[in-house]
Amino acid sequence: MGSQSDAVLVHRILDGQVELFQVLVERYRSEFGRYATAMLGGDTDDAADALQEAFIRAYRSLAACRDPERFKAWLFRIVSNQCHNTRRARRGHVSLDRVEEPEDTAARQRVEDCEAGQMIEEALQQLTAEQREAFVLKHVEGYSYAEMAGLLHVGEDALKMRVHRARDELRRKLEGLR
Amino acid sequence: MTEQERFSPEAHRYLDGEGANGLDHAEREAADRLDRMLQDYAASLKAPGAEVDRAVMAAIAPETQRTSISIWSWLIQPHLFTVRPALVAAAAIALVAVGALTFDLTDFRGGIPDTTTLETPQTILVRFELRAPEAEDVTIAGSFNDWSPEEIRLAKNATTGVWTATVPLPPGEHQYLFVIDGSQWIPDPSAHAQVDDGFGQANSVIVVGPRGVVRS
Repeated sequence: MGSQSDAVLVHRILDGQVELFQVLVERYRSEFGRYATAMLGGDTDDAADALQEAFIRAYRSLAACRDPERFKAWLFRIVSNQCHNTRRARRGHVSLDRVEEPEDTAARQRVEDCEAGQMIEEALQQLTAEQREAFVLKHVEGYSYAEMAGLLHVGEDALKMRVHRARDELRRKLEGLR
Repeated sequence: MTEQERFSPEAHRYLDGEGANGLDHAEREAADRLDRMLQDYAASLKAPGAEVDRAVMAAIAPETQRTSISIWSWLIQPHLFTVRPALVAAAAIALVAVGALTFDLTDFRGGIPDTTTLETPQTILVRFELRAPEAEDVTIAGSFNDWSPEEIRLAKNATTGVWTATVPLPPGEHQYLFVIDGSQWIPDPSAHAQVDDGFGQANSVIVVGPRGVVRS
């Protein structure tokens, strides 16, 4: 079952085999889950909520996925928007305090245990949304610029510019801590 | 930011995996240091687990069953209809129109056969309008078409300068923008709600219910 293409699964789900949606969830949960975790400051609880909401929205809008061959890019746009919405909603409640005084969760602790992680996470919060997204796809997910362009509908040169600016910002913070 | 705090183009190329040509020793050390940190960071991130799968499937299964059961229950229940002869002809015309509409919607969905009308989401026809007399071309891009600015083209009324398109949408909340002349993305000035798209711009929001537009 897992070897079926996204497009075949989408068609079969739309034909009424709703249970097959779980195959798509399992296929992209890990990849997009890491992205969501990085976009949401390392908080796996927020990432899980955002991912869950995004998958549910995707299911409810599946008939509008006009090119099932490109389901991954379509789903990514929904996940990305949901992460932005979660960030916005969270900003109103906890703002930067959360970045500086994180909750004592196991996931959070794991990131903090990584000396580099703390600094990178703080720096990521200071990037623009576009830069943060491009940087995470490049350096967390390990995408090529061509793959990123396919997901984001943005030219490779523009994506390189975003990643380069994000790197420079990280280096500036790194030099400041040394 | 000073030049020392920025990576050189050679260092960026190196970090992009394009080789270390022209990169001096100190810059390469700085690039390698950042690369190691990024690898540690990526390794420390944990993706949500299988609880997401269970929650998603639990959320979508009941609504599918509920829709199926309610429609099926209605179909098998006896109903009393009062028919006036004058309405019979109109009903026949309406049935033909519904048949044509069903065919068009199937075609819009890329030829996916609509064989499970009890379980697949409904599609509601929604009319979008934008007054832009100076525009040469207007399209609509949104969450319902993968934000593609090429697929849904509005038609212009040359007299009024109003562009319109009727788009089949599934029930739910959709975000969208109009795209003027292929480059200018603007929200719908008549939309009930606009939301921040996370990039400092606003998206328009439309909410479609099973019986039509709930809010736009």
